[in-house]
Amino acid sequence: MSSTRPELSREFVAGHKRRRMMDAIAELTAEQGYEATKIADIVRRAAVARKTLYDNFDGKEDLFLSAVSATMTEMRVVVEEACERSGADPEAGIVAGLEALLDFVAEHPSASRMCMVEAISATPSSARLYDAGVHDFVELLQKSAPDRAELPETIEESLVGGVAWILQLQIRKGDAERAPELLTELSQFLLSPYPGVGKVVNTGRRK
Amino acid sequence: MDADRGIERLPRGRHGLSPEFVAQNQRRRLISGLTQGLYEVGYQKTTVSLIGRRAAVSKSDFYKHFGSKDDCFVAAYDAAIERIRGQLVAACEKADGKAWSQQMSETIEALLKLFATEPALASMVLVEGLRAGRGVYDRYQAAIESFVELMRQTEPPSAEGTEAPEATDEAIVGGIAAMLGRRVLAGETEQLTELFPEILEFVLGAYLGAEEARRIVSAG
Repeated sequence: MSSTRPELSREFVAGHKRRRMMDAIAELTAEQGYEATKIADIVRRAAVARKTLYDNFDGKEDLFLSAVSATMTEMRVVVEEACERSGADPEAGIVAGLEALLDFVAEHPSASRMCMVEAISATPSSARLYDAGVHDFVELLQKSAPDRAELPETIEESLVGGVAWILQLQIRKGDAERAPELLTELSQFLLSPYPGVGKVVNTGRRK
Repeated sequence: MDADRGIERLPRGRHGLSPEFVAQNQRRRLISGLTQGLYEVGYQKTTVSLIGRRAAVSKSDFYKHFGSKDDCFVAAYDAAIERIRGQLVAACEKADGKAWSQQMSETIEALLKLFATEPALASMVLVEGLRAGRGVYDRYQAAIESFVELMRQTEPPSAEGTEAPEATDEAIVGGIAAMLGRRVLAGETEQLTELFPEILEFVLGAYLGAEEARRIVSAG
């Protein structure tokens, strides 16, 4: 054996590099904003060659959009899965989904900042991605909500907007890690418009 | 509409108006010019020349008031927020002494009317402000926070023993702003007043519970 390196497949290495570049742009834009983040910073942080970046992405914006989009999808999937796992009770589903979202933000502060703060003002395309992501959550909440037949259409837009706003404040304060502490308050807020749902929510917080 | 009033030119030639008056008037016109330009052609295409043309102010006079287009934008943004705050405060004062739900009702109505009659202002505050980058975003955030403060000056009657948690006020104001922004983006600014009962029900529901909110809104 001439090398102690484990053999990794070409696909694995390539995928890993893509991931590193997306993580790097998330960290860098979270630290210094989209505008100030240069290609040179990204390749240095990701420890890849400049050419690797251009082999995978058209440039900074393309990489940024890919990273935002991937994080948005991840976020939606963890929330959806948590909702489904919680069973048939819509109230429990909403609380479980919210809990999963808050945990995601706490565990991925840079990626969350990239999606929920930087994406809004970075470029017109990233703003559209943000809007589409919010729209997905609005639909998800409408789907999960307790009997909402008589409720106006805009209710979930305001609810999702409100939760996003609180998280944006939290992230901008540099307190993303403490997002899970908001569970009780935000559950109460999220459930407040639905008739028949208890006003005081017992969230049974673990940890 | 103030934006239109702002565009009005002063009489040409000798008019005996004080230099301060003329300067103030020019500044207001430039702010209106930017606000309208932003609404019609977007930030990129709203150049200093376009603002000047719309305001009937020369480019060199523009630079006497503002260092750059960004400067003018921030000034316009601040002026817009001040106008909104003025309307909200006036509505709150008018409703002083009335039931809390009535105070909320009149304030929300005033806000929606202002946005519906001034789509350019609504668009700048609710959409462009968020997209313009960090400096203006800070102002958007400060504005939302000041509206939260305004709301906290009113005292919602809390339903038996429960109290709305801290973040509720912020979530409500931030949530309504985000929802309105989405409606504005969808080109529905002029129909915003139709959302009045929905928004009122949403606000009341967070404090009084869904059933009570429904009862109050249905009773008109």
